[in-house]
Amino acid sequence: MTEMFAWIQATEIAGTVRDSVLLTGALSATHLLGFTLVTGGAFVANLRLIGVLLTDHPVIDVARPAGRGVAVGVGISLATGLLLFAPRASAASANSIFQLKMLLLGLATAFHFTIHRSATRRVGVAPRVLRGVGATGFLLWTGVAMAGCAFILFE
Amino acid sequence: MALLEIAEWLEATGIARWVQESQYGFAIVVAVHILGLTLSVGTLVWFDLRLLGMTMLRIPVSHLYRRLMPWTLTGFSVMFTSGAILLAAYATAAYGNLYFRIKVVALLLAGVNALVYHRVTERQIAGWDEARLPSMAARTAGLISIVVWAVVILAGRMMSYTMF
Repeated sequence: MTEMFAWIQATEIAGTVRDSVLLTGALSATHLLGFTLVTGGAFVANLRLIGVLLTDHPVIDVARPAGRGVAVGVGISLATGLLLFAPRASAASANSIFQLKMLLLGLATAFHFTIHRSATRRVGVAPRVLRGVGATGFLLWTGVAMAGCAFILFE
Repeated sequence: MALLEIAEWLEATGIARWVQESQYGFAIVVAVHILGLTLSVGTLVWFDLRLLGMTMLRIPVSHLYRRLMPWTLTGFSVMFTSGAILLAAYATAAYGNLYFRIKVVALLLAGVNALVYHRVTERQIAGWDEARLPSMAARTAGLISIVVWAVVILAGRMMSYTMF
């Protein structure tokens, strides 16, 4: 793994990002834009499932479109995140906050595209199940947000 | 008092000194600022997309607005308070920064766009509140909002890379 991260760091694209402050800033800004889509979508979708937001509208009318926003945001964040990771792959991968962020991101993304997606597309799911799914999704994405902020600041 | 003098005065205030000198002051305020931003813009974008006729089409525009706005405004309060503290701490650096100026112009445009929507466009809401595709004026307001807030986020992040 250590050799793979060193190889990533030595690639041409990693060097291009590393050598340009403006490119790094633009990537970081786009990463935050994607992250805003993720957190906003996850917030709306999961609060609907928990029963706090837009409760007078069916889950499918709220959580499903908001969930699509999460998917788009994850795509933007992952693409820009990989490019930001490349120039500092060795140091970042050894950072415990980064490892926690990646673990939570993996869990949140997997949860979103499996259990969350299934719960928001089926009709007749028990309210307590929806609340459980919403609470789990909310906690996972909040964890990703917290770890993301911590990594920016304390890396 | 000139703008630069105001900036120097701001940097000498107690809260600004705390951000500049404490070990975690800057980190904490930036983290709170980012979380406020994701809550405010992250929820506002759903209202803007509804205005554009792109999502949550079965929910009336006014209904979505009433349900989302308490969260959006909470996020804005957190974002503007923490942003004001950060600005106070590094006011002279921000004063000369191009991206800060772009961000301020975008924030002003966002304010004017919201004002025009509420004072003019929203008066006709009865005609398109439940329509899948709201009026052209409403769609324009939604599009402008998404664009200017994206510019605010992009310029704000660029400040971090060009100010220090």
